[in-house]
Amino acid sequence: MISIFLLQWQRFRREPLLVLSFFGLTIFFVFFLAGSANTNQITVQTYLEDDVSQSSADEWLTVLNQSETFRFELTEEEDARSAVMNGEASLALQLRNDNYRILVTVDDQNYQLVNGYVQQVFQEELRLAEVESSLESVEIRDTIAQELEEPVLTVTSDTIAGDDNGFLYDARLHTLFGMTLFFSVYTMMFSLTNVAEEKRLGTWDRLIVSPLRKWEVYLGHLLYCFLIGFLQILTIFLFFEYVFQFNIGANFGAILLIIACYAFAIVSVGMLLIGLVRTTQQLQAVIPIVATAMAMIGGAFWPVEIVSNEIMIILSKAMPIFYGMEALKGVAYLDQGILEISEPLAIMFLFGVFSMGIGINLMERRAS
Amino acid sequence: MLETEELSKQFKGKIAVEGVNLHLERGESVGLLGPNGAGKSTTISMISSLIKPTSGDVLLDGKNVIKDPGKIRRVLGVVPQEIALYEELTAYENLKFFGRIYGLRGKALEKNIEEVFELVGLTDRQKDIVKTYSGGMKRRINIAAALLHEPEVLIMDEPTVGIDPQSRSHILEMVRELNLKKGMTVLYTSHYMEEVERLCDRVYIMDHGRIISSGTKDELKSILSSEETIMIDLDRPYPDLYNDLKQHDGILQTMETETGLKLIVPKGSRLLGELFQIADRHQAKVVNVHVQTPTLEDVFLHLTGRKLRD
Ligand SMILES: Nc1ncnc2c1ncn2[C@@H]1O[C@H](COP(=O)(O)OP(=O)(O)OP(=O)(O)O)[C@@H](O)[C@H]1O
Ligand SMILES: [Mg+2]
Repeated sequence: MISIFLLQWQRFRREPLLVLSFFGLTIFFVFFLAGSANTNQITVQTYLEDDVSQSSADEWLTVLNQSETFRFELTEEEDARSAVMNGEASLALQLRNDNYRILVTVDDQNYQLVNGYVQQVFQEELRLAEVESSLESVEIRDTIAQELEEPVLTVTSDTIAGDDNGFLYDARLHTLFGMTLFFSVYTMMFSLTNVAEEKRLGTWDRLIVSPLRKWEVYLGHLLYCFLIGFLQILTIFLFFEYVFQFNIGANFGAILLIIACYAFAIVSVGMLLIGLVRTTQQLQAVIPIVATAMAMIGGAFWPVEIVSNEIMIILSKAMPIFYGMEALKGVAYLDQGILEISEPLAIMFLFGVFSMGIGINLMERRAS
Repeated sequence: MLETEELSKQFKGKIAVEGVNLHLERGESVGLLGPNGAGKSTTISMISSLIKPTSGDVLLDGKNVIKDPGKIRRVLGVVPQEIALYEELTAYENLKFFGRIYGLRGKALEKNIEEVFELVGLTDRQKDIVKTYSGGMKRRINIAAALLHEPEVLIMDEPTVGIDPQSRSHILEMVRELNLKKGMTVLYTSHYMEEVERLCDRVYIMDHGRIISSGTKDELKSILSSEETIMIDLDRPYPDLYNDLKQHDGILQTMETETGLKLIVPKGSRLLGELFQIADRHQAKVVNVHVQTPTLEDVFLHLTGRKLRD
């Protein structure tokens, strides 16, 4: 069994291109898709008039930075001015006591957006301050905040992006999880074609007539495919967590367990496919179809929540990738622990056991 | 030491092998001869426990090994008909792997690898990737991979198909040596009569899934002891002459060869004169005539009415 397992690594070392390209593609896609989700944020360099105190500046920045669209960064006046002069930034914001100025070179769309937003924030704040001082009550803010949290009437509006209503969605993390799980399907299943390849080349027969037992041959191959998929997903997660500051959640043990269950499920589906098709060529044709369909339906490309078609929603529940995404999102968005994600984990595991059983059975039946 | 009893195999109702009885004594070199599709590979696959027979048994030292193939797998070395190697690895890496799956490790493994490379004459190419090998070299490694664990019985399925005469000669030499010097029992499958004549003590002839004849080379040839072969070379094919001879009562078998015709006739029949007359009638130009004692090829022709190779 170990011999078979080691042999696959040896063969991988000689021809690593296919697997490495899936690895590279994942990084490429996550980087550009999630990267562009990030640049939607407009950074506004912000500096202070001389008589503005640091503490009131901090207060303003906190209020201003509540928006997802803008990021206000405190800098020195000189830096901000020269950035605008040099064209590195299209505008800069100067905070004054109870007022602001915007430094612009051209009257572009960003200016309209920033100005509109800052104006709104200032007006709201000033109005609140006015009410506060006239009522001489410091609690007015809390009362208003409380009122807002327990409204008499709730209006929910659903939008496609649905950023603030409906469901949890983080474009960067979703891209990372979706793309990584999607491309790992290719890595694992193409590695599994080694089994079909061995049957075609006749080396399989050599293994069978040797004293090795058949389960050892299967296990050696499966272990290799599992591990290469597992390592690919893990490396990419770690890469984006540490190099690009993605926050995939604090529960590392849970993440490992999710990757393991997912990799097992996918390797098993791969075995099922090998059991179903006749030739290596057919297998190579079927893998991209299965991978893409599974990723689309299972919510790796876009959240299943935006799909309204009943059939698609039911179908998504039949995709192991769906449960992988659910579990990962649970850990990353909601800080869920292993116990809370045990359901998707168990489903992936059972999915794996069944597919594997049927796959090996089909293959053995064909052989005899 | 190794025998089969009424071994049969059907693929989806189609008979590939039927009622085959073979036996190999220790140290013997036995040939299994038959044309394409005769069922040679299927028979070998059943002996080596690759596929299960539809019925019949395989016995090793009198013990049935179909239910528990573990025993026979250690004893056998099987050279498959198609080259079955990992082509992206080096020859050395291939042999190391095939040695390991037979449980060889460490020094013993290295020693055997070295010996086997020497035997197949590829010691200086062992670190090369198999993909870069010639067909003949791949064939030799294909054989080498079955020898690492020093099998008691070596089963070879047409190991010389599609290679140059030199490599072929080397392989035959090597197998003979293994058989004579190391006492390895050999079952050699082929549809090349001359290979089997050169290599084997005893021969089974197979056709349409059945053993149609067996015995030592001399026994088989004595089937034809009352017959002789006449080879007639002609300047070009004469279909009418061929048809005429086919219907001739005094001729047992007639067939076309590359250079003319081959006839099997009862020994001592004085046909030559008549043959020339018939040839004259068809205005055929006879280039050469040769009367010879039968070969195994002729035995096959006699038994089946067909050539061994198409
Ligand atoms: N897996 C299979 N499924 C169906 N039919 C098969 C299978 N293997 C062999 N056969 C059939 O069984 C018959 C015997 O085949 P086999 O390969 O044993 O012949 P062979 O003597 O080895 O021929 P060759 O000299 O071409 O190698 C053939 O008619 C072949 O078509
Ligand atoms: Mg064959």
